[in-house]
Amino acid sequence: MDLRAGDSWGMLACLCTVLWQVPAVPALNRTGDPGPGPSIQKTYDLTRYLEHQLRSLAGTYLNYLGPPFNEPDFNPPRLGVETLPKATVNLEVWRSLNDKLRLTQNYEAYSHLLCYLRGLNRQAATAELRRSLAHFCTSLQGLLGSIAGVMAALGYPLPQPLPGTEPTWAPGPAHSDFLQKMDDFWLLKELQTWLWRSAKDFNRLKKKMQPPATAVTLHLEARGF
Amino acid sequence: MALFAVLQTAFLLALLPLRTYQSEVLSEPLPLTPESLSVSINSAKQCLHLQWTVHNLDYHQELKMVFEIQISRFKASDVIWTGNYSTTVTQNQVLHWSWESELPLECAIHFVRMRTMVDDARIPVPRFWSNWSSWKKADAQNSLGDHPLYVFPKDKLVEEGSDVTICYISRNHQDNISCYLEDVLTFGKQLDQSVWAFELKNISFLRKTGTNFYCQGQGVPEGVVLFVSKVLEEPKNFSCETRDLKTLTCTWDPGDDTGLIQLPSYTLFESFSRKKTLCKHRNRCDWQVTQDSQEMYNFTLVAENYFRKRSVSILFNLIHGVHPVAPYNLFPKNVSATNATMTWKVHSIGNNSALLCQLQLLGEGKVIQQHNISIRVNGEYLLSELEPDTEYMARVRCAYADHFWKWSELISQNFTTAEAAPSEAPDVWRDVMFVSGHPTVTLFWKPLSKVHTHGKILFYNVVVENLDEASSLEVLSVPAPANSTKVTLNQSSYQIHVTAHNSVGPSPASTVAISGHPGNENVEEGRINGTEDGFPMSWKPQSRNATGYVVEWCDGPQNLPCVLQWKNLGPTTTGTVISSGAFRPGVRYNFRIYEISTKRMAHLLEKKTGYLEELAPSYNPQVVPNNLTSHSFTLSWKDYPTESQTGFIQGYYVYLKSKAGEKCHRGFEKTVLPDNSVCCKYTIDNPDQKTFVMKDLQPESVYEFFVTPYTSAGEGPMDDFRKVTTPDEYSHILIHIILPMIFCVLVIMIACYLKSQWLKDKCYPDIPDPYKSSVLSLIKSKENPHITIMNVNDCVPDAIEVVNKPEGSKIQFTGTRKSPTETKGTKPAYLDLLPTEKNYSGPGPCICFENFTYNQAASDLGYCGHFPVTSQAPHCPLGPLTSPENLLKTLEQNYMNSLGEIPAGEANLNYVSQLASPVSGDKESPPTNPPEPALCSEYKMQMAIPLGLASPPPSENSSLSSTTLLDPGEHYH
Repeated sequence: MDLRAGDSWGMLACLCTVLWQVPAVPALNRTGDPGPGPSIQKTYDLTRYLEHQLRSLAGTYLNYLGPPFNEPDFNPPRLGVETLPKATVNLEVWRSLNDKLRLTQNYEAYSHLLCYLRGLNRQAATAELRRSLAHFCTSLQGLLGSIAGVMAALGYPLPQPLPGTEPTWAPGPAHSDFLQKMDDFWLLKELQTWLWRSAKDFNRLKKKMQPPATAVTLHLEARGF
Repeated sequence: MALFAVLQTAFLLALLPLRTYQSEVLSEPLPLTPESLSVSINSAKQCLHLQWTVHNLDYHQELKMVFEIQISRFKASDVIWTGNYSTTVTQNQVLHWSWESELPLECAIHFVRMRTMVDDARIPVPRFWSNWSSWKKADAQNSLGDHPLYVFPKDKLVEEGSDVTICYISRNHQDNISCYLEDVLTFGKQLDQSVWAFELKNISFLRKTGTNFYCQGQGVPEGVVLFVSKVLEEPKNFSCETRDLKTLTCTWDPGDDTGLIQLPSYTLFESFSRKKTLCKHRNRCDWQVTQDSQEMYNFTLVAENYFRKRSVSILFNLIHGVHPVAPYNLFPKNVSATNATMTWKVHSIGNNSALLCQLQLLGEGKVIQQHNISIRVNGEYLLSELEPDTEYMARVRCAYADHFWKWSELISQNFTTAEAAPSEAPDVWRDVMFVSGHPTVTLFWKPLSKVHTHGKILFYNVVVENLDEASSLEVLSVPAPANSTKVTLNQSSYQIHVTAHNSVGPSPASTVAISGHPGNENVEEGRINGTEDGFPMSWKPQSRNATGYVVEWCDGPQNLPCVLQWKNLGPTTTGTVISSGAFRPGVRYNFRIYEISTKRMAHLLEKKTGYLEELAPSYNPQVVPNNLTSHSFTLSWKDYPTESQTGFIQGYYVYLKSKAGEKCHRGFEKTVLPDNSVCCKYTIDNPDQKTFVMKDLQPESVYEFFVTPYTSAGEGPMDDFRKVTTPDEYSHILIHIILPMIFCVLVIMIACYLKSQWLKDKCYPDIPDPYKSSVLSLIKSKENPHITIMNVNDCVPDAIEVVNKPEGSKIQFTGTRKSPTETKGTKPAYLDLLPTEKNYSGPGPCICFENFTYNQAASDLGYCGHFPVTSQAPHCPLGPLTSPENLLKTLEQNYMNSLGEIPAGEANLNYVSQLASPVSGDKESPPTNPPEPALCSEYKMQMAIPLGLASPPPSENSSLSSTTLLDPGEHYH
């Protein structure tokens, strides 16, 4: 039997949906009580998979935007994208974060990024690109659910969005098309950085849940695509 | 000229009062200057929009005026454009005018001023310009923020092939800014201290998301996206049609996509009704037909985008463009073997307008019938002349009957007609074999073609009618798809009728007649030559009443059984060409031509045989040389079959090579073989001659020969020559003498060999060597291990055998007495020296070797293991000979005398063999079991006996078993 790309997308979507539903099924949470270890591992695996998936999607989308956005050495200073949750933090700050804060920041960041990504999907002019973006959004939704599952397993409450702070995507020329392209560029780049940071976070959390925990040396910085 | 001067003067005089009147109307000279001039900027369109009024115009006054406009950039003094704008001005009218700037307006401050002049024909010249208005400033930079770098124009739409000017404003003059079109560094022109402009010529379409132009200094890059549109094409193939007279559909080919996310708009405008509709698709538009019975439509299709507007028009008559929807529910009804009624329905058009429908009937993919039927709602048509049991396809399409424009789409339906009885008799032929005088007929028939079967053939009926017995009918049913059957008949005349049956009924019968007697088979066979088309043949009719002719043959005569083929020919035919795809070159085909009588009886007319193409023989005969003499030999190849060759054998070539010389014999001709060797060749032109005598040969010479057949296509393959050596002239004499001699010698040798033992015994018998006697080992082990020769003392005789000499002079000391009539001189006599059990009977005959030469008391110590000699032992052959009384008597009478009579030294020794028995070695132990024949033998002492006493042949008076014992062969048995 041939497995086409579309089939693998479908399977991944299925996986993500299942992961999303995991915390909602009480029976699964009670049986055996394996602890948060397996769900952290699954979240870590999904993060790594999304990193791989984004690498392909970003290449396609940046080519769609055209030069200079698809050039490998294009690394402009960040400006005007303050609305995007920033993944890069000072190392000391990152070290000072506790598990709850880390997970909360991850959850909030992906909630925002997912919203912006859906806006990107609406803008895309080609059907193929729209399909790829839609699949990635489904996967990201799965990651969000997975993080929520980990938080539930550890007994942390999900962050409640403050009224009026929901990220919104405003269609139309909020600013020039060039800046819009720049925003898209930064969105993909920020997403990449967040996925990288999340992988580190979940790896650290995973080791912590399996004592004796080993020290994690983490150096956070933005990476190019 | 004078007249012209007068007229000019008169004209001027006439104008003077008019000027006076005008002055009265306009009163004073007009101070018509543009006032309230304002300038605004439209950044999206890069336009300066001017707005002003002209004061001092009287009420209802309407004047044509010219406005001269000047535009400066950066400084008022730098005028970059001057132009005129003419218009008719009324009182208090606000005038508007726009100017499109190549340079984005945000990059420079612009200044505008204007003046005006009356340009009305009612105002006489000279006319004067008014004063310039004051400079009005248009500054778009006021609205910019505090970013260090700006690039303009923002998100501009341009058409492919046009030129674009892009500029940037840098607030930081120290910053080194580079600008790129996509990824190509671009160089511009500095317009001001902080403004640079870039002229991009003939810009091309790259992608839907636009072409990127960006500049980058130390900070964040700033750029613009140029959305390049391809040139909008004029719609092509614009046409309209209606399917139901209610809705019109206009279609067109929009051409290439402009490449922008914003698609061009298409609007359909109808000029008679003055209605228009915005099309939802870029290649199709629907138009609702109104109920006011408008027939004519003048449609204009307008395609429009940001840059262009394209339009195309057609004049359309509604009823000339009716394209009906495809009919539906096409079904066959009342399908018989030859007829079918097709029914279908159509969608109504307008008020049930008539439709012209075309019904097509297809068989095997080809249109075989086509009918046009005019209908309104329901269609029905009877298709006739159909073939039974045939699959057809019916398809129908319709067009508007009032004015044909276009057929609707086709719909189709398959159906199969019913079966009917086969329409043609099967083609039948027969093969008659006479077995024991009775004809055995094999009937063959060819399957009917599909055109004639009219259904699936289920079986064939064979009716055998005996013409000599009126009521005799035999019916055979042969299930399909068999194509032959065998019938055994009597010696009567028969008619055989064959019919093919399908589910409906039988076909017409095919009849063959069979005579109960063999016909004339002795017809001479003629030869025919095949051609590319087959075998052409002709024949001579024998009777005038022939109803036809049949040519039969086998497609593969080399394969058995023969696949009989035949061809029917009409009564007037006297020739045909038999062709078959199975015919092959080099194969002999036999054809038989039959004449069919009026009674359907077949008479053999001619036989033909031939090859499609003759080939050279594929192999040579096996030639056997015989009758070899010193001067001749005969070659023979009688087993070579000429009938099964690849061509008609016309004769044979006999090749002969001789080492004697190069001269050929008479009748031979010299020829050169393919290997360039020279030999003699003899041609036999009679294919039936299969022997050849080589004559006039030299004795004791080597000849090589080779025989090959030849056909019209050539001779057989070159094989190896066989060698024959002619014998010497006298060799046969030698053979007649030497061979019998050799035979005799061989017989003698064989006889000698077979009788060698006998000769040996007769001529040179074996001389025993006492040093090698086997008894020594027995003696050694018992008493003296160092003994090398047997002494008399070492032996203990336990029996004595008396050999009776024929002269009767020898008296043998033996315990056996036997009458001459009982012994016949062939058996030895034995005497047991030990008491024996009277009733003992051994298991079988036993031989006891005894030394008859010595008589010692010690002999009683010996133990003879053989069974005791008793008169009650009939199984022992010696039993009757060993009566104790006879033996003792004989011994007493003869023994002493005989010893005294033998002179020492003269006597030849006669030895009696002896054999030691391992069982008998234990003398002390009595026999517990009857000894086995081999085991009961025991060595007995032996003594030399004068040969004269033993050697004479036995006579009737001789004593017991004397000769038998002298035979060594007997002893060793």
